[in-house]
Amino acid sequence: MDYSELTLRYFDTASQVGILTGPDVHRGSAGSRAGGVWVQFDVRVNAGLIQAVRFLAFACPHTIAVCAWVAEHGAGPLLRAVLPESVQDLSDRFAVPVEKRGRLLIIEDAWVAAVNDALQRCPL
Amino acid sequence: MSRAVYLDYAATTPVDPRVASAMAQCLTLEGEFGNPGSASHGYGAAAAALVETARARVAACAGAAPNEVVWTSGATEANNLAIFGVAQYYREQGRHIVTARTEHKAVLDPCRELERRGWRVTYLAPDSSGVIHPEQVAAALQADTVLVSIMHVNNEIGVVQDILGIAAACARHGSARLHVDAAQSIGKSAVHFAELGIDLMSLSAHKVYGPKGAGALLVARRARGAPLQLTALHFGGGQEQALRAGTVATHQVVGMGLAFELARSAPPSELAHVAAMQERLWRGLAALGGTFRNGDPARSVPHLLNVSIAGVEGESLLAAVRNRLAVSTGSACSSALREPSYVLRALGRDPQLSESSLRFGLGRFTSEGDIETAIEVVRDAVSRLRRLSGYDAD
Repeated sequence: MDYSELTLRYFDTASQVGILTGPDVHRGSAGSRAGGVWVQFDVRVNAGLIQAVRFLAFACPHTIAVCAWVAEHGAGPLLRAVLPESVQDLSDRFAVPVEKRGRLLIIEDAWVAAVNDALQRCPL
Repeated sequence: MSRAVYLDYAATTPVDPRVASAMAQCLTLEGEFGNPGSASHGYGAAAAALVETARARVAACAGAAPNEVVWTSGATEANNLAIFGVAQYYREQGRHIVTARTEHKAVLDPCRELERRGWRVTYLAPDSSGVIHPEQVAAALQADTVLVSIMHVNNEIGVVQDILGIAAACARHGSARLHVDAAQSIGKSAVHFAELGIDLMSLSAHKVYGPKGAGALLVARRARGAPLQLTALHFGGGQEQALRAGTVATHQVVGMGLAFELARSAPPSELAHVAAMQERLWRGLAALGGTFRNGDPARSVPHLLNVSIAGVEGESLLAAVRNRLAVSTGSACSSALREPSYVLRALGRDPQLSESSLRFGLGRFTSEGDIETAIEVVRDAVSRLRRLSGYDAD
């Protein structure tokens, strides 16, 4: 399997790994370990801002790398439940093989679930 | 950065320097570069003599007679020649073949192709330790069975099959010839073509410190009813008893012959050393917790250790160790989406553990330092990936 330099960098040095706790934390997950891909995002939201992001992933290097990038770039205003970058752009950025692009939708589902939970509990 | 520790000897081995030297002497003007089929001059005769020496060495190592050795490009070609050769020659006698789900693709794919052409194939399931029992083979034989193909040492889990018992089942049947893929056997587990009663046996050079692109099919010439016949796959020169046309690659077979001779003369301490290192490796990996050894260790060669590791995704595990450790999985990696190992699935492992396995292949040049490095690298990778996957929090 070939990986881009960026994919390997984010895979090898993935930060923002783990979970967050507290009443201001919102969680979303998608996929399943049995299915080979599982992703979870925790977002801490205060005053309409995503202040911190953590993730867990049981997944391939491409998926882990994209999760790490999303976690790194996810902080900011809580506006709407979309990824910091589109699935297509993430696919291009990390040179995700076409056979694996469905996995980015799992990442999107997990992110959207976490942010939607925040939006429902802390409406803008 | 130093090269990664090589623990993929089941995939291929480095050519022994003595083998490489012998091969080089068959290539240039100063050496024996002649065509071994050119009987009219000394160049050809000298090359032919080297080829026959190599043939005798391979035969001696595998317990066969020299005239039973047919050179091929490797075990894959040997498997194809055995399976298609028997199927075609005996097609009027029967069109049923017995094999196992845990065979190498070089056996399974020819069988699938024969199915497409109208043959019937029975795929036996191993028990949970990877063993195909002779009684299973006996029960699968039908009146029109012409071939049984069961490997000796499994390439993923190292389990050694009871070839003697399977051969006896075939002999009782009468017309079921036994083909054995022994690509992983030489130098790892005793295999004797004649004493085991095998009809056809595939061999490979590059698994035993010989060159890639060299192999052989052993074809029994001893009497067991009518002499065994094969339909050739190649035509064009009548070489190799008309079973494998084409100029014999002198340097390749010389390399294979010496590699097999070196394997035959290897001291028992080499095997004991590999066994001790395999045990140390397993103890180190077992200490991680959530590790499962695949295959029955009491029936396996010491050169292979296959371990499933819970809480990590297989592709990420391989990627995480890539810079420091050269290992493989049994998974099909020809596409971007890996499939769980069909061998481990056949043993009854769940898909997740089948997908998160590592195959460690140990060999002649593996050192104790290599094993300690491997344990450390896998431990660090598993720890990181389990933290990433939340495994410890489960």
